This record gives sequence, structure tokens and C-alpha cells, in this order.
Amino acid sequence: MIVIQVIVEGLLLGGVYALFSSGLTLIWGMMNFVNFAHGEFVMLGMFAAFLTMTWVAGGPVLFTIVAAASLFVLGVVVYFALIRYVLDGPIIGQILSTFGLALFLRYAAFFVFSANFVTLPDTYLSGTENVLGIYVSIPKLVGGVVGVLLTIGLHLLLTRTAVGSRILAVAENRDAAMLMGIRPDRMQALAWGLSAALTGVAGAMIAMYYPISYGVGESLALIAFVVVSLGGFGSVPGALLAGILIGVIESLSAYYFGPAFKDVVVYALFVAILWVRPQGLLGTA
Amino acid sequence: MKRGWLLLAVILLGAPLVVQGPFYQRMITLVLLSAISASAWNLVGGYALQISIGHAVFFGIGAYTPLVFYQHWGYVPLAGIPVGLLISCAVAVVIGTPTFRLQGHYFAMATIAVAELVRIVVTNWKFVGGAVGQMGPAVPRTVWDLTFRSSLPYYYIYLGVLAVLLGLTYWISRGRMGYYLRAIGADERAARSLGVPVRRYKLYAFMLSAAFTSLAGSLYALMVGFIDPTSAFGILISVEMVITAALGGAGTLLGPLLGAVILVPLQNMTNSLFGGGGTGLTYILYGGIILVLARFEPGGLLEIWQRWQTRRANRAEAAEVARAA
Amino acid sequence: MLLDAKGVSKSFQGFMAVHEADLRVEQGEIVGLIGPNGAGKSTFFNCLTGDLTPTEGQVLFDGHDVTRGTPEAHALRGMGRTFQVPATFQDLTVLENVMVGAFLRHANRHHAREEAERVVEFTGLAAHAHRPARRLGTPGRKRLEIARVLATRPRLMLLDEALAGLTPTEVHQAIELVREIHRSGVTLVIVEHIMEVILSLAHRVVVFNQGELIASGKPEVVVNDPQVIEAYLGKRKTSASV
Repeated sequence: MIVIQVIVEGLLLGGVYALFSSGLTLIWGMMNFVNFAHGEFVMLGMFAAFLTMTWVAGGPVLFTIVAAASLFVLGVVVYFALIRYVLDGPIIGQILSTFGLALFLRYAAFFVFSANFVTLPDTYLSGTENVLGIYVSIPKLVGGVVGVLLTIGLHLLLTRTAVGSRILAVAENRDAAMLMGIRPDRMQALAWGLSAALTGVAGAMIAMYYPISYGVGESLALIAFVVVSLGGFGSVPGALLAGILIGVIESLSAYYFGPAFKDVVVYALFVAILWVRPQGLLGTA
Repeated sequence: MKRGWLLLAVILLGAPLVVQGPFYQRMITLVLLSAISASAWNLVGGYALQISIGHAVFFGIGAYTPLVFYQHWGYVPLAGIPVGLLISCAVAVVIGTPTFRLQGHYFAMATIAVAELVRIVVTNWKFVGGAVGQMGPAVPRTVWDLTFRSSLPYYYIYLGVLAVLLGLTYWISRGRMGYYLRAIGADERAARSLGVPVRRYKLYAFMLSAAFTSLAGSLYALMVGFIDPTSAFGILISVEMVITAALGGAGTLLGPLLGAVILVPLQNMTNSLFGGGGTGLTYILYGGIILVLARFEPGGLLEIWQRWQTRRANRAEAAEVARAA
Repeated sequence: MLLDAKGVSKSFQGFMAVHEADLRVEQGEIVGLIGPNGAGKSTFFNCLTGDLTPTEGQVLFDGHDVTRGTPEAHALRGMGRTFQVPATFQDLTVLENVMVGAFLRHANRHHAREEAERVVEFTGLAAHAHRPARRLGTPGRKRLEIARVLATRPRLMLLDEALAGLTPTEVHQAIELVREIHRSGVTLVIVEHIMEVILSLAHRVVVFNQGELIASGKPEVVVNDPQVIEAYLGKRKTSASV
């Protein structure tokens, strides 16, 4: 049945959405800061995968690691060079800082790669598999599963490890955490690195089945915003749930309304969420 | 101070007479248009401190309505302007009402989401021209079509609108609304404790901002005679408004004008200098400017100027005290 | 009765911060609200001012039910408050800060300004009228907060540790100011840790501990109540608190 196919694709896409949104919600919940360059982080992850394949002929495992590592570094650098300074300032500075960063990264990518779309060459993951009568694209399957697993992994990291509890402590009360010997600066930088790394992995996954270009960040960022708003401010489980949900909704919208309007449905849903339930599914009012 | 205003008025009124040639006349006209858009953004982004990064939606609505009115029903484009204003205000209410009770990030996100939403819808809507866009009168039927070959009439129309907008902004800033907006921007919780109806005033500022941005879009469409989804609703239109206001000084009266005076010629220059890859570099530059502003001086150039002035005054004061001693 | 809070409870995700607290304030009274840290004073206070909505209970102001009212609505009705950490508008001048308050009752710019000037004079801030609020020290900003609220013509003012962190001299000056405000017809509810303030200003004191009201009465009596002493009354010193 075609609809089942569409829904399955949506679930898998949603897994990736959950992954890159989880990083965004972590930062937001922790520092009350929204990274408007988040879409560009995904885009850079995609390009990192592409470059790894074209320069070093690396496979999916390698390019995912490269994407994760390079984005981790970027996240930490961005924190220390920029975010740290605008956190305590006026909100206009906060919003403009990552907005400016987004522009900068987007057009830097344009400058280097121009407006052409590039795609990843085939890997051993390419192709489709027939699972119980449904044709599932293997890259999408891998992407979705990796996405869900890593999102759950993030949640476990935050709630079950010492490092995670330190991050959460800073998120809850920076001053109290300091008094307990935790260094907020370090934890925040770590959170940024982690968030960016996960986003890089998401980008690497997406790169396997979507064309890559400098401008893809724009709509991906908006999807991330919708997901974190639907999921609930600061909630990683929320991002998981909402990501998958949005993936399915987008997939169904593309099927029923055509690919041009799939984003429209998601954006309209966003406005509706703001009107009706801004705290999202798992957030508190 | 009064002399400063007089000087400014003289410069603005006389500029087209001094500047020669259609290219430069067009450029100064675009400076004014940019100043109008940025000053309109400033109302909500600078005074009320609600950062909108999707303001292009209002610009686009304002740009499309006059041309659609002309294209489909033969009206003078002017007739479409009030409709554009109304639609923009309605959109502002839809965006602002739910988000103004939440933290500022929601508002910012909602503005780009709606801008993108509208852009996609318009791109796929045959009635308004789809991806191809809408055109205005190629040849004016009467003077009321406001289709002129030279930039000069547009320059003076824009100047008039800018003067009205700045006058209105000034008048508002001195009255209750201005104080309330500044209070909201400074400390929302404290403002509420003093009885300030925060949501309502944010909405007023936003609607006013939307209306004038819509007007700016209409003025643009009148002059250029053509609009398409990207030049109407694109993110770069939103970016330009924000950076123009922020560079000059968000929350100040003349900051946006200053920003326009600097950025429009600058953009022209980088576009011609870097040829094909030009657009990329311009926006890398814009991104960099916004970054630097956000990091070091969110108050923009006028803030730097203010601080320099205060330091000079303090030094003069100290010198006087030293002399008297 | 100006303020009548009945059975006010407030819980946060299962944790009950305030449990069935009552407070009655007659017009013209100065009521002190004391208790150890974490006792629920601030939460209860915020339930009265509209910054928090009680989970249960009712707050009546001058007969009107304001339980679910917003802070703005409270201010309009004549209930004003200050904040524990001064929340002045840093980049506005002292006069402009007070004008924001005055605009509640005067839509016209000139009337608001006149009112603000009057209040600035009354609260002894005239010398700093045109200085930006951020350049005042903490005592000045606390005074400014009071002036700002005063400009909204409140009938009831709730002060949240308005005298904390002041030197002994400043405390005396502040006490005088509060007396003046009281004389001008404003009813007051004061949250304080400094006993000197409570003893010299309050007609009546209520004591909070672990979310509940444990004593109420004249200051001298309450202070010697063994239950209250046991609940850790806080600093008895008259010097500036830590």
C-alpha cells in the first residue's frame, strides 16, 4: 500500500529530524538560546560527507565520523568565539549573532561550492530493499535508525552519565552548578560541540539521499524550529517524538498535496502549535 | 541640534539635484527605500525589541497587492496599497498574538516560518503569477499610475513617506507608547508590574511596523514595476532590513537611515567589484557585519557615536573642573 | 478589608510550596511577612501579586476576585509591588522610570511627567532625576523601584525585601520613606528579614514556615513565640543583612 510506504518513509525521515533537532533543543533548554545557524550546521555536515567521499574516497562510516568531528570542533569554536559573549547581553544581540553566523556560513558555502547541487556517489548502503512488501531505501533506513538511536543516546547521556548530569546542572542553575565545582563555560561549550556533532551526523545521513547545496539550511532550520517547539522547550524525548511526527506529517503532505506544499503544511502547523499549545507535547505550560 | 535637522533636510531635499545621472539617482532613491523599510522594522525590532527576521512577508504583500490590482482588474496600482496594508496587519496579528506571550525566540522563528510559507504559496499560485511574478504598467495610462521613467519623482515620494514615518516614530517615542515599548524592551516583568499591557503594545508596534513595511514594498513595486516571489519574500529582503537598522542603530530614530546610507552604496560597490560571485561575497560581508555587531556593539554605529560623545563631554567636564581648581 | 487571601495553595509539579495560607489586610495597615528562607514567602507573595497563579484558593482585592489576574490587571486595580532584586529600567533615567509608572494613570505625556516629578521629589530622588538608572547604586535603585510603583497610585503596596542590603543609615532613611508612604494613605505588606524594620514599621506580622502560616499577631508577641523562634527567625541584628 502506497500510504504505508509514505508513512514508513516519514518515520525514517523523522528519525533524522529528531536527531538534528535534539541538539537544538539541548542548547535552548540549557542556555535559553536558539541557534539560528542550526540549518547551516546540517548543511556543513552534508558537505563534510561529500568532501570526505570525493577527496578521500571514504565510506559512510568514515564520512559520518568526519562530519561529527568537524562539526563538534565548529560548535565549540562558535561557543568560545561568539556565543559566550552574547549570552548575557540583550536579546537582539543573541538572535542577530547566530543569524549573522547563518548568513556567513551559507554564503561562504555558496562562495566555495557555488549554486550547484551536488550528490553523494553511491556507497555500499545505496539501493532499496523490499521489506514486507514495502520498498525501503537503505540510506533512509540507516539514516532513520541512526537518528533515533543517537537521539535516545543523547537522552541517556544527559540523564544517566556523570557528564550529562553536569550539563543538566548548568542548564538548571548556572550559579548553583558553579558552587558545586562544575565549570559552566566548559559544559556549555561541550553542549555546543555535542549539539553540532549530532547535527553533523544528521547532515551526513541526509546527504546520502538528498542533493546538497548551500541553501538547504534554510528549510532544515525551520523544520528544527517546528520540531523543538512541538516537542517542548529543552526536551530531548520531546524532540524525538515531535521529529518523527513531523517526518510523517511532511511525508503525507508531500503525497497528498505535492512536494511544493509539504513545507507549507509544516510551517502552518507551527503557527497552529503556537496558538494552541506553545509548550509542545512534552513541555510544561 | 535644530541646525542639524535643517542641514539633514537640506541634504535630503537637494541630493537629487546634486547627484548626476540615472544610475546614481536610482541609487539614492533606493537608499531612501531601504531607510523606509529599515525604519519600519525598527519600530518593532529596535523600539519594542521584538526581533523579526521574516519581515519580508510584509514587504512582499505590499509589493504584490498593487501589481495584482493592476494586472487583474486594471486599477491604478495605488488602489492596491491599502489592501496590502490591511492584509499585512492581519498577518501581523496572526503571528504576534500567540508569540508575544512567549519568549522572544518564538516570535523570531514564527516570522521566518510565515515568510517562507507565504513565499512558497505565492510561488505556486497562478493567480498572482506563480514563480514568474507580477508586472505593473509598462506605460503609464495617467499620472496616477505612478509610473515614471526617471527616479526623481519616486525619490520625493519616498522622502515624503520617510518623513512621515520618522515623524510618527518620534511622536510615538515621546508619548506613552514609546515609554511602554522601552520598558518592555528593558524588563518585561517589571513593565507588567507597573500595569503595562505588554502583549497589546507589542502588537501595536508590530502592526504599525507591518503596515509601513507593506507600504515600502508597495513603493518598491511602483518604481520597479515588477515583483516575483524571491525579490518580494526572500530571506535576503528580511536580512537587509535587519542589518540596515542594526548597523545604524536599532532603537534610534536616524539609525536606519544611517545604515541605508552606508549599505546601499556598499552593496552596489561589492556587486560590481566582485562580478559574478558578487552576491555571495556581499552576503558573506553582511553576515560578518551582523556577527561583529552582535558580538561587540548591538547598539550599532549611533551607539558608538553616543559613547564617544559622552566620553568627550566627560573629558571636557573633567578638564573644566581641573581648570577651576 | 482591602486584601483577603483565603486558602491559597501553590504547588510546582507535585511540590507544595504554599499550603492553605490566609492573609487579611485592612486598609491602612502595615503587615509584615517573615519566615526563614525557602519558607514559601516569595511564592505566596507572587500569588498575591499575580505573578503566579495559585493552585487553590482565592485572592480578593477590595472585594474583587483577582486570583487569576495578571500583574498588569493588579496594577490597574491599585496593587503594586517591588522586586527583591531591583528591576529598574537600566537605560532610562530615574524620571523616565517613574514616568512609566505614571503613565498608568495619566495618558498624557505632560501630566505623566508632572506626576513623576512629584513622586521623584517625594522619594528624595530629585538630585538624580536625569541620571540613567544603571548609574544609581543598589539603594538608589531600590528607592527608584518604590518611586516607580508609587507613581501608579497604588492603594496597596507589596514590598519584597526592599530594605535588604542597605547600610544602617540607609535602612533608617528607607523606614522613614515607608512611613511617609503609609501616611499618604497607602496600605503596605512588607516581606523582610531585618527585624528592626519589622519591629519599627509593622502593625501586625505573619510568619511563614515550610509553606504554611504558623503565627500571626503583633510584632513583639510574634517575635517571642516559641514556634516562630524554633522555625529560625533569621537575623535579629539590626545591621545590614548578608
